[in-house]
Amino acid sequence: MSDLTGIMAVTMIIWIGLFAYVYRLDRKVSRLED
Amino acid sequence: MNRVGLALKWFLFVWMVVVIWAAFMWIPSAEGFKGESSRIVFFHVPTAWVATLAFLVSCIASGMYLWRREPKYDFGAAVSAGLGLLYAVLATVTGAIFAKIMWGAYWNWDPRQTSITILLLIYAAYFALRSAVADPEKRATLSAVYSILAFVTVPFLMFIVPRIYFSLHPDVMTNADPDNSLDSAHLIVLLASLAGFTGLSVWLYSVGTRIEKIRHRRRQEVL
Repeated sequence: MSDLTGIMAVTMIIWIGLFAYVYRLDRKVSRLED
Repeated sequence: MNRVGLALKWFLFVWMVVVIWAAFMWIPSAEGFKGESSRIVFFHVPTAWVATLAFLVSCIASGMYLWRREPKYDFGAAVSAGLGLLYAVLATVTGAIFAKIMWGAYWNWDPRQTSITILLLIYAAYFALRSAVADPEKRATLSAVYSILAFVTVPFLMFIVPRIYFSLHPDVMTNADPDNSLDSAHLIVLLASLAGFTGLSVWLYSVGTRIEKIRHRRRQEVL
C-alpha cells in the first residue's frame, strides 16, 4: 500500500468516525426534544 | 428525524467519501508543489472558508440577539463561534503541515500564520468572556457585542493583512495569472469539498443549537 493510499484510508476513517458520532448525537438530541 | 433530513445526511456521507477518494486517488499531484502537498488544499481551503462563514453567522446572530433579545440567537452565535474556532484550528494545522512540506518548517510566522493566530486568540477570548459571566442575559448581551466587534477584524486578518505583506502562502483562488491557477479537475474537487464542508457545518450548527435549546429548557424547568 502506497503512502497516499494510507493517508486516504486514515482520512476516510476519520470521516466515517466523525459522521457516526454526529449521527448518533443527532438521534439522541431528537429523542430528547420529543 | 424526518425522511428528507435523513436522506441529506446520508447524501453528505457519500458525497464526502467521493471527495476524499477524488482528492487522493483521482486528481494528479499539481505542478509546482513538493511531493503530494497540493492535495492538502482540498481540506485546508474548505476549513478556512467554513471558519470565516461561521464567524459571519455568529456576528449576524449576535446582531439579531441585540435586536430581538431572544435566547435562540445567543445560542446560534455561541455555537457558530465554536464551529468557527474549531475550523480555524483545523485550517491552522493543515496549513502548518503544508508549510513543513513546502518550506521546511511547521511555523514560519508568515503573515497568514500570524493573522490566524491573532484570530484564534480573539475568538478564544469570546469563550473566556462567556464563561466569566454567570448571569445569562448579561452574558448574552456582552458576548453579542464582543462577537460583532470580533468579526470586524475577520476581513482584515483573513483577506487584507496577508495580501499587504509579502507571504509565501499560494494565492490560487484569487490570482489572475493563468499559469498559476487551478485546472478544472482540481477546481471541481475543491468546490465539491467546499460544498461538503459547508453541509457538514450546517448539520453541526443544527445539532449544536438544538442541544443549547434543550439545556435552556431544562434550566428553566429547574428554576
